[in-house]
Amino acid sequence: MRSSTSSSDAPAGRRWLGAWLLAVALAVAICALAEAHWRAAGYRPNILDSRQLWAQQRERVDSGSGVPLALLGASRTEFGIDPKRLRERLPKYRPVMLAVDAHYPLATLRDLAADESFRGVVLCDLDAVGYLRVYWDMQQPYVDYFHKQWTPSWNLHRRLLTDWQRNAVIANPAFGWKASLTHALEGGEPFHDYIRYYANRSGDIDYRQTDPESTKRHFAQTMEGNIAALPPHDPQRWLGDLAPMHAWIGAIAARGGSVIFYSSPVNGLQRDALQRVFPREQYRDRLVAAFPEAHFLDALDVPALSRFDLPDDSHMDYRDKPAYTDALAATLVERGYLSR
Amino acid sequence: MQFDSFTFVVFFAVVLCVYNALRGWAARKWFLLIASYVFYAAWNPLFLPLLIGSATLDFWIARRIHASARPGARKRWIVATLLINLGVLGLFKYHAFLLDNFAALLALAGLRYVPARFDIVLPIGISFYTFHSLSYCLDIYRGKFEPTRNWRDYALYVAFFPQLVAGPITRFTQMREQIETPRRTTRESLGLGCALLVLGLFEKCVLADTVFAPVADTFFNAVGTAHAAAAWSGTLAFSGQIFCDFAGYSTCAIGAALVLGFTLPINFRYPYAAIGFSDFWRRWHISLSTWLRDYLYVSLGGNRRGAWRTYVNLMLTMLIGGLWHGAAWTFVIWGGLHGLFLAAERFTRERLLPANWQAPALLRFGYGLLTLLLVTLTWIWFRAPDATTAWQAFAHLLPGTAGNGTDLDSGQMFAVVGFALVTAVHWLMRDRDLLTWQQRLPAPVIGIALGLMLAMIMLSPGDNHAFIYFQF
Repeated sequence: MRSSTSSSDAPAGRRWLGAWLLAVALAVAICALAEAHWRAAGYRPNILDSRQLWAQQRERVDSGSGVPLALLGASRTEFGIDPKRLRERLPKYRPVMLAVDAHYPLATLRDLAADESFRGVVLCDLDAVGYLRVYWDMQQPYVDYFHKQWTPSWNLHRRLLTDWQRNAVIANPAFGWKASLTHALEGGEPFHDYIRYYANRSGDIDYRQTDPESTKRHFAQTMEGNIAALPPHDPQRWLGDLAPMHAWIGAIAARGGSVIFYSSPVNGLQRDALQRVFPREQYRDRLVAAFPEAHFLDALDVPALSRFDLPDDSHMDYRDKPAYTDALAATLVERGYLSR
Repeated sequence: MQFDSFTFVVFFAVVLCVYNALRGWAARKWFLLIASYVFYAAWNPLFLPLLIGSATLDFWIARRIHASARPGARKRWIVATLLINLGVLGLFKYHAFLLDNFAALLALAGLRYVPARFDIVLPIGISFYTFHSLSYCLDIYRGKFEPTRNWRDYALYVAFFPQLVAGPITRFTQMREQIETPRRTTRESLGLGCALLVLGLFEKCVLADTVFAPVADTFFNAVGTAHAAAAWSGTLAFSGQIFCDFAGYSTCAIGAALVLGFTLPINFRYPYAAIGFSDFWRRWHISLSTWLRDYLYVSLGGNRRGAWRTYVNLMLTMLIGGLWHGAAWTFVIWGGLHGLFLAAERFTRERLLPANWQAPALLRFGYGLLTLLLVTLTWIWFRAPDATTAWQAFAHLLPGTAGNGTDLDSGQMFAVVGFALVTAVHWLMRDRDLLTWQQRLPAPVIGIALGLMLAMIMLSPGDNHAFIYFQF
């Protein structure tokens, strides 16, 4: 390989210029065709939630203006609370979405307690199932990723990837060449996702795009299956296992913060099943009594929060999200847990 | 940062522009060195001082070796650098392995010892840059060349970002002239280098991550549930993944360096078309196998001390080569098996069939297939997390171990077909040099091939998988 520009480089340069012009044109044409095809079939770009996106939010806990308000939980928090709206209603705070769909939150609470730089408030979803010792570490891989692998380099990558996913259907693996070929060979089409994510990790569920009744039945069946697979548990042991939470809450309080445990609204089959297996008076109420240093709020006790229709008995339709977020902010202020 | 990240695209574009905008060669080298350190710090800035310190120490020790007139003093310096470099590598990479095995030994003697667990993160690329530095000091010790007087040039040789974290493991003799002579991007190096980058990313994103990794991961994460056909598809998938992942990285590295006007050595030469195991190791991770040959096998005496000692040296070299890949007995077994294959091949060639070694084409092809089969099966030891899983994987390759199912899903079929295509390409190209071969292709053919690969890369979104060799 020659190491400097010379007249003999010109023909080779022209050859490569031609090849690259053709290559770029062909690649752009193929991608544009694929994009147009999927859009014509009714698909829209969507940001994909990931550990990197979570880590980007986790980083925001320690930077920016306002008191950090960490939103912890699973799907009910991620798809129910609108962080942007919450910030508008509670300008003193900087809401950060750290809830993870299908992952209970105690590993993240433990991590925030151990983080000496965290001086804020935690709003942590309380679901008796998720506080079983066996589920504590569900979000630990996210925490580990943030502490061990997350770097400014990945931050930049994720920002650019988020922009790409926001604008291109083909940025989603469900529309990649392999998935497309599989659909072509086996028939069928990609799933029409009814959840839309934002860069702040909040998600919107649009129940108009799905059958809420079948989703409700699916959730109920899943819950019964999960209940059947639960390890042996009793209120005494459950509460005893949660003793380390005293230290976590204490550490956060010592830095001027606080922890609010919030039971999100659930209806119908979900509520019945939970009450059957984890009766509120034996689990949640005992927890309230055992942890006077924390704040507790149950949506079922507040008509403004429990009035919402939950199409699948567990999650909010995105059209109710702003009103629900407003009601939650107002209730937290009313109870004196937060201030405007 | 990884080659398959958006960050690298931005980083490389900036580096390319600034590098070519700077006028003096010294300034461009300083810039490349700083860029290389930024590239490395992108993973974990805390390990940057280790990289700089290691390079600086070896730069200084090499000069001390060269300046020492007495053989004893020279020996002391080389022993010092070996102890320091291998000590640091051992601390970061092998401490847990050594402590665990020490505890197991004590347990055999009835003594109970529970080693403390240190949460030590392995600095990325440490195995590679340690070997860079060691080869430099050993070559100075052997009097092959004089050490460079310029710290920046030496530091750039060690840290040059395209090859810093996963090779190719270059020798100073391969880089010295390139570092000392001014160079810049040419139109040809830009065109060809970018083409190699696209080829490498195609191997990594399209083949390794999209076609092979899901099937290999599914199999090795739940070996016990796989029927024979699934077990074979998983094994072939990992064979495809490990090649496309690592060769993809090397191709990207060679391409990125070429864009900047540097030529890195070829690291893979169609290894799945190897005819025999010595041929395989002339084609697979060439920079490591030649390093082990020149600095370990030769240092042990090579083939100069009789037949029996030659076999011992061969085995030792491969066992240590296996251990270099990771601190686990599975890697040692993988290396040991390759050592056995090499020894058996050598014995056959020298003692049993010396006259017939240049066999007819059909026989050579058959031996090539046997080589491929054994190499593929040996990868199980490389991929399995422990010996139990590896044995289980072998058992499930036999029909009937987990039912008599033969159905493969579309992903498994893609992996099997993909592996067959990769192997076919290796056989078609086995005696060709890609860089020479591409010169005969018309520009439109290259353009269409590049365009298709680019489109496939764009249409292979998903999580960024770390390159497998980063962990080594």
